[in-house]
Amino acid sequence: MRKILAITAGKIIIFLSRMLGNQGTDFPGRAARKIYPEILKILAANIREEIFIVTGTNGKTTTTNMIASILREKGYSLVHNTAGANMLTGITTAFIEASDLLGRQKFDYALLEVDEAFVPLLIKEARPRVVIITNFFRDQLDRYGELDHTINLIKDGVRNTDIELILNGDDPLVSHFHNDTGLHCWYYGFEDTIYDALESMESREGRYCVFCGHELDYRRYHYAQLGQFRCPQCDNHNPDFNFTANKLKMNPFIKMNVNDLVIQSPYQGFYNAYNILAAVSAARLVGIEDGIIQSAIAGYRPRAGRMENFIINGRRTVLILVKNPTGLNQTLSTLLYDTKSKNLFIALNDNAADGRDISWIWDADVEMLASEKARISHVVCSGQRSGDIAVRIKYSGIDSGIINIKSNLAEGIELAVGGPGEVSYILSTYTALFECQKILKKLQKDEKSGVAGQRQLQA
Amino acid sequence: MAGFVIAHMYPDLLNLYGDRGNLLCLQQRMRWHGHDCRIKNIRLGEKIEYAGIDMIFMGGGSDREQGLVYRDLVGRSDEFMAHIEDGMPVLCICGAYQLLGISYIAVDGQVMEGLKFFNYLTRGAKNRLIGNVLIKACIEGEEISVVGFENHGGRTCFEDDSLQPFGMVIKGYGNNGEDKKEGIKYNNLIGTYLHGPLLPKNPGIADYYLKTMASRQGIELNSRLDDYIENMAHEQVKKKLLAT
Repeated sequence: MRKILAITAGKIIIFLSRMLGNQGTDFPGRAARKIYPEILKILAANIREEIFIVTGTNGKTTTTNMIASILREKGYSLVHNTAGANMLTGITTAFIEASDLLGRQKFDYALLEVDEAFVPLLIKEARPRVVIITNFFRDQLDRYGELDHTINLIKDGVRNTDIELILNGDDPLVSHFHNDTGLHCWYYGFEDTIYDALESMESREGRYCVFCGHELDYRRYHYAQLGQFRCPQCDNHNPDFNFTANKLKMNPFIKMNVNDLVIQSPYQGFYNAYNILAAVSAARLVGIEDGIIQSAIAGYRPRAGRMENFIINGRRTVLILVKNPTGLNQTLSTLLYDTKSKNLFIALNDNAADGRDISWIWDADVEMLASEKARISHVVCSGQRSGDIAVRIKYSGIDSGIINIKSNLAEGIELAVGGPGEVSYILSTYTALFECQKILKKLQKDEKSGVAGQRQLQA
Repeated sequence: MAGFVIAHMYPDLLNLYGDRGNLLCLQQRMRWHGHDCRIKNIRLGEKIEYAGIDMIFMGGGSDREQGLVYRDLVGRSDEFMAHIEDGMPVLCICGAYQLLGISYIAVDGQVMEGLKFFNYLTRGAKNRLIGNVLIKACIEGEEISVVGFENHGGRTCFEDDSLQPFGMVIKGYGNNGEDKKEGIKYNNLIGTYLHGPLLPKNPGIADYYLKTMASRQGIELNSRLDDYIENMAHEQVKKKLLAT
């Protein structure tokens, strides 16, 4: 009875908060858990096949969504939490929303993106079969203290279970999970790519061996601390991969082989190549046919702020959410892979959801913008802290003459897309993102109707 | 063209909240002034060659990291203090600032010793003092506003009234949220809770360090840099704070 009450209450709150225009992701789950603390455990038992969870610092949302889209293409029914709702309450909401009122409806799979700190609790309640770990970067510092604490938390959570792990074998902070858990591990990783660096310019996390503390030797860096490493002291090194990606090309869209399967995607950037590789690995383990994997990945379109594409002034315009140093580094390195000249717009806000402290922009390697390869022809700084981001960009060493400040988002975006670059990149922190998206949609629409009008005239 | 070296103490341990921006700022501005500036990383156990160093920078870190740094410095603190007395430019942010005092007393009563250069104590508290901050500071006889972001659990109190703070709080918390004092200024050393990072948005403080470094080498910095963007960022934060 309490189960039905909890589900009903959750569903009503989801409905009401949607009516009020909220996303309604955490509160319904929280209320239902108050009424019936076992609710997630009970609903998780309705999964016929397996529960997969995806955790790690970056790439959780994209990886989870890609796996979900492959399984949907195959025709499986799913429970799947939406972006950002990755704590226990949000995951409970996802199960309640998918469920019928009696809480008896069965699903084939559950695909859950889980915040690192909640992995142990989720394992206790939902008993997942597979945990995918994408990477560990420094960005949770404020909330959970040091990175090794987070990693130990997850390791403790999976120990003494029969979970299978899918691990990024290129990340020395992830690849050691077999050690002292004894769990069955599957590894994915990259062979040499034409984008590799021989020296790292990025963050310091993970450069030291997790076992003995000695500095790791890298033969190549694919991306940040992901690469081919070996510890000169204790011989800790990349595991053998079960899923190996090779022939990576980004022009600017991703094309690569995973083992022998050719994969193409409308996504850009090395970090997305990792997300795709993780998704393909999971799909292959489930036994999904090659053709279905290929078409699901090719058809999987970026969503708001995750490299959403627009056409404005006849040129490609890309909207990207940036929220921490790693994310900003990813985005900037994506810019380097794109050989076209660029207009760059960055909106920096400091509301609670963005983080009140904007000093993280100094932990990112904005210096990448000053390299010739970046081909930045025009910069517009915007948002509540337009001054701070402008100072950051100035100190990257870029010519300060091309830096403009327009705090108003609409004016800033218009100035940016009107610049001389062949493509425009629109970067935004969270609370400015949806406003930026609205402005871009409007500019795109105005242009379409403008073009249509011209055609009529010619006719 | 002259060459300058800034020692970055313990970059692997003390480097929080964008503190390295202070170094990027000093390095770039020195280049724009026409001189070379190099950052020398000093790690645990590494000898500090003061003769080849024009300035020392230390950032903030967690308790564990500060303990490691204390143990590394305590045996050679006399030499460090002698250089501070001699006018070595030094910038210490947050944890490093606390480390220069008598001790840090955590909420649970545990005492972490400081280097005891200055007579102040820091007491931990449960709720952290977090937010944008505006202070007025006096640099070389000129009163200037300084903006930043503070995020500290410790409350620092001067036990000696003759100690000079870095500035007085206009908006925000400062050393302890009560006596309006922020940081410490002694010779050419500034200790402060201001992250942000401090120097890029406060070019007056950055240039104070550059000029001091230069004059210790017998050089005068004559060029005036265009600080339009820096001042705009400074005013943006100031306006936001004064409106609250």
